[in-house]
Amino acid sequence: MSKAVTIIMIEDDEGHARLIERNIRRSGVNNEILPFTNGTAALNYLFGSDGTGKDHQGHALLILLDLNLPDMTGIDILRRVKENNYLKCAPVVVLTTTDDSQEIKRCYELGCNVYITKPVNYESFANAIRQLGLFFSVIQVPQAAT
Amino acid sequence: LVTVDATRRRAIGQILLLAAGFLVLVAISASSVVLVTQSRKDNGRVVHSVEVENQINALMLQIRRAESASRGYLLTSEPRFLAEYETASATILPAVDRLATLTRDDPVQIENSKRLRAPVQWRLEGLAKIIDFVKRNDIAGGVAMLREAGTTDTIQRINDITGAMRAEEDRLFALRTKTADRTQQLASIVTVAGSGLVVALAGISIFLVRRSARARDDAEAQLRDNNSNLETMVDERTSDLREANNEIQRFAYIVSHDLRSPLVNIMGFTSELEELRGDIFRRIAALSRAADPVPAAPMVDGDIEPGLEREDKQLSQDFAEALGFIKSSIAKMDRLITAILNLTREGRREFVPVRIDTRELIEGIVATVAHQASEANAQIRIEPLPDIVSDRLALEQIFSNLIDNALKYLRPGVPGDVAVRGRTKLGFAIFEITDNGRGIDPKDHQRIFDLFRRAGPQDKPGQGIGLAHVRALVRRLGGTMSVTSELHHGSTFTITLPIAWTASNRNRDT
Repeated sequence: MSKAVTIIMIEDDEGHARLIERNIRRSGVNNEILPFTNGTAALNYLFGSDGTGKDHQGHALLILLDLNLPDMTGIDILRRVKENNYLKCAPVVVLTTTDDSQEIKRCYELGCNVYITKPVNYESFANAIRQLGLFFSVIQVPQAAT
Repeated sequence: LVTVDATRRRAIGQILLLAAGFLVLVAISASSVVLVTQSRKDNGRVVHSVEVENQINALMLQIRRAESASRGYLLTSEPRFLAEYETASATILPAVDRLATLTRDDPVQIENSKRLRAPVQWRLEGLAKIIDFVKRNDIAGGVAMLREAGTTDTIQRINDITGAMRAEEDRLFALRTKTADRTQQLASIVTVAGSGLVVALAGISIFLVRRSARARDDAEAQLRDNNSNLETMVDERTSDLREANNEIQRFAYIVSHDLRSPLVNIMGFTSELEELRGDIFRRIAALSRAADPVPAAPMVDGDIEPGLEREDKQLSQDFAEALGFIKSSIAKMDRLITAILNLTREGRREFVPVRIDTRELIEGIVATVAHQASEANAQIRIEPLPDIVSDRLALEQIFSNLIDNALKYLRPGVPGDVAVRGRTKLGFAIFEITDNGRGIDPKDHQRIFDLFRRAGPQDKPGQGIGLAHVRALVRRLGGTMSVTSELHHGSTFTITLPIAWTASNRNRDT
């Protein structure tokens, strides 16, 4: 993954956020990680001051999304991101505790690119995040539409 | 109970009322009879007075007739007058007697009639003398006799006495008329009062009857309403219960789901701590080696952090132990939460009734546990089983849990014998899974069906979920389950399921 890709991490649990960040770093990914702990702040950043998302024109974004947020569900964010002309090609990785098959299906229908269930077992969790990090290091991320 | 008492009181009141009405009627009838008799008697007396007066008049008439006949004979000497005289005078004395007889009821009249007799006789004797003179052709003697008679007071006395008798009889007549009137008045008063009373009682009766009839009509209407409402009420309650059940399911799901999130943190940072612990004690070892180049402690086999001093080694071990407990507890909690999640997910799954070849299903389960069975030196016998319509997956889970339990809790050293039997009864299929294992203490028979509860020696792995899950499934399939068991003598789990289960009511909106 090129250096220019910014990882937007939307995760309400700061502990989880810290663990995710550490394990991504351990897999050798050094990209900038922007953490948000609630949906509103994340949307404000993603869609910018004018609410169109034009601010990110020419930037490459990757979104790490938790579904259980205090102020909205991650699915709302996913839908809005995928409906936005500038943001829709940014890869979205849903990383959540839910392993409900309906929920998973719904996320993919809305255009999520990867769905990962957080394992409670820390070995598996760390392993999953490290593998995700390795995945990040090889994938290509397009720039937001110009 | 209150209404029953009131009804009984009302019934007694009505009976009393009717009895009172009847008594009043009887009293009125009796007094009417008495009064009518009395009235007839009184009227008889009145008539009697009239008769007496008639008799007096008749007597006077006969006396006058005899007198005038005797005068006519004196004047004309015609035998016609003689005959007239004789008929009239013959009736006079009997008439006096008759009057005496009639007036025997009154002391004044008795006296009067006694007094009347003598002047009447004298008068008759006087008349007889006149007739005798005429017969002897002594007209002058007769006329003298007549004159003499005219001067005597005999006639006057007769008139006086009869006048007195008339007066007396008039008095009696007035008295008797008054008595008769009073009696009649009394009779009519009694009749009117009695009738009024009867009418009043009848009115009260009608009022009471109408009131109780109205109460009965109200009760009947209420009953009809209740009956028609009952169905709606049952439906309402059922939907309430279903809603409550769904709520609990959702609640359990959300709780168990949200509990996992902090658990990831605890587990994650515990693992991080473990890493840190390794780093710290390695550093301590390096530092102490640098401070004291002579190896302080001998190398112990399998030591992770070589070169630690005794106290530091103890610290390291305590650290590792604490972390180990935390991690194993978290792992256990995770298993429990996963179990609840699976249970609630199972509760939300839609059941689909299909025809199931029960024997084939059980044979499939037995095949999957064949390895376990041979290890436990156990055999599983499948006896003839009835086929049923039910949810396949649920049925698989029920039987595999029970067969798994039977194999798990055998007595060590005793070859296992597990039997699956089935029969039908009144639209239900009854399955029995019997083993010769360690058995369950009767005091634990209820407990084993509770979530996370187990019984007997805790020497086998398990969360205490299987039977709770099985019972929940059996209930959802419209069945019941029970256990009969004795310690060291094996257990029998009995499952009763409807032969043809339809996914109605229970499953509709879960």
